Amino acid sequence: MATWNKYVSIGAPAMTGKGIGKAIKQAFIDNPKAIAILEDMQFPEIEWFTDNMFDRMIECGIAEQNATGVAAGLAAEGFVPVTYNFLFASMGRAYNQIRQSILVDRFNVKFLAREGIWGEVGVSHATIEGWGSLRNLPNMVLINPADSVEAEKATTAMMQYIGPCAVKMEMSPNPFTIFTDDYQFDIGKAYSLRDGKDATIIATGYMVTEAIKAVDILEKEGLDVGVLNMSTLKPLDEEAIIAAAARTGAIVTAENSSDINGLGDAVACCLCENLPTPLVKVGIEDEFGQSGLITSERDELMDHFALSADDIAVSVREVLKKKAKFAK
Amino acid sequence: MSHSDALIQELEARAKKMTDHCLTQFCTFNQGHVGGTMSVMEIVTALYFHHIKFDPKNPDWPERDRVIMSKAHCCEAIYAALVELGMYSEEQLGTYYCYASPFQGHADRWCTPGIDFSGGSLGQGISFANGLALAEKLKIKLNPPSREDTFLPRYIVRYNPKFRTYVIMGDGELHEGQVWEGLMFASKFKLDNLIAIVDYNKWSLDGPTNDIMPIEPLADKFKAFGWTVYEVDGHDIRQLLDVLDLVHKQYGDNKPKAIIAHTVKGRGVSNWEELHMHLGRGDEMKKGVAEGRAKYGNVE
Repeated sequence: MATWNKYVSIGAPAMTGKGIGKAIKQAFIDNPKAIAILEDMQFPEIEWFTDNMFDRMIECGIAEQNATGVAAGLAAEGFVPVTYNFLFASMGRAYNQIRQSILVDRFNVKFLAREGIWGEVGVSHATIEGWGSLRNLPNMVLINPADSVEAEKATTAMMQYIGPCAVKMEMSPNPFTIFTDDYQFDIGKAYSLRDGKDATIIATGYMVTEAIKAVDILEKEGLDVGVLNMSTLKPLDEEAIIAAAARTGAIVTAENSSDINGLGDAVACCLCENLPTPLVKVGIEDEFGQSGLITSERDELMDHFALSADDIAVSVREVLKKKAKFAK
Repeated sequence: MSHSDALIQELEARAKKMTDHCLTQFCTFNQGHVGGTMSVMEIVTALYFHHIKFDPKNPDWPERDRVIMSKAHCCEAIYAALVELGMYSEEQLGTYYCYASPFQGHADRWCTPGIDFSGGSLGQGISFANGLALAEKLKIKLNPPSREDTFLPRYIVRYNPKFRTYVIMGDGELHEGQVWEGLMFASKFKLDNLIAIVDYNKWSLDGPTNDIMPIEPLADKFKAFGWTVYEVDGHDIRQLLDVLDLVHKQYGDNKPKAIIAHTVKGRGVSNWEELHMHLGRGDEMKKGVAEGRAKYGNVE
């Protein structure tokens, strides 16, 4: 089995939502100005909130555009509003409201965006292009935590950060937790799970799990592959990307959302400008989502979109061929 | 009611001065949203020079009344008010539309102290105003209370200062679905500290507002959404002051208020009125500015 850096310890399965719920609860206890903006899509730890924070829950109904403006107004008066919804609804439906009412003035609004290509929901709810579409919005911070431990720490960091910030709440069930409890999360800092010599997989969110599995597959072939967890898509940790490229000379990016304007494009652009390096993107190619079955043996959508550990391994082999070609 | 003739005359003179300031802005690039700016002039005058709490020396004063110009393409009128209040110089009017100017093409809170909302994308002002009005009403429960706070009754503090929120909307803007989401919200949360003023000048860019997408019966729609509605002549300062006083006194009745102000697009300049001019430019702009200058004050 592969060896991992300090804060990595493969543990029991847990949804990222669990970590987010724990952190958001604590943030509301700590900060009396935190306000929950509901869009008829409940809220993490809804039962606890209903019992303890009923006067700090603003139910806006299925009207995300107004809810976003209300959040901006509350933030302008010093409150810390937190919206919670599917990414397509809170951030897709209200894209211009987020831009104009929140980001232009850097109002301190927080977004928890449920998103992923999981299972049954189908094309409308699996907004695979949504996350990347937020990347070119100035003043926005985008965090996609890899597991429940990082989700908890990222949510705490989001609530402490002053300014607009979104945490993506992956809906795919994580088969294991990745980080130890003392893992230190900082906004805008990537963490190297394993340095590697031959190639580096730069992964984000749920795909860190698949990257870890891919490392084991490749190790059996005698390859020493690193994994860099790029949980903050914006601001991007360019230093860590360049260091990884300098060390291994071959990069594979892995994201379970559109590969247009997402992590892959961000990394590719960074390397083209700073240290041109052979690179292969794993992500969803210019296509909408759909429904699919998840069982313990098989995830139909991960197979359909070619996002599994096996697919990442294929891409690593491919990038190594490129690396060899470049070396000549 | 009790407003003196002298006050009315003073405010009418002020509105003329403001109009002149707007003409200066239009001259910068011979371009500007003349129609909606001319129609909203008395509304802005009544608010800034009599009705609202606002300290030009301290534009971030927490207790100031908030004025949200949702139809922010008509921010020229607000800029004129800020100049009249002494926050900016008359020379700065000539930087309208210019790089690094406090007088941006659409209102920008970040660039212009005195502006509360970066509008321009229509329909969003009402929701932002909802947020402000709700913030004014929310009380904070310190949970858990810190040692310093335990003297407060039941650990509840009024974090926020008292103020009213005014949102100025255009009639064409009411086509935006978000406005109606916002109206429902204000009613649900009993925002009696929120006053929406509709500058009902009957024309939007493509033609008559009610041909493009009928908004009538407008007062009934507001009422059906749970609002108290008044209709006034939006160019009559006395009517505006009276209705603003009236809604001010109704604080505590749990209902948001709407003032539908009937106005004339491009008011005060004959060719702009005839053409229902939205964005003025070219010869029509020059002609109108010349007429306006003669009528409203300082000739260049």
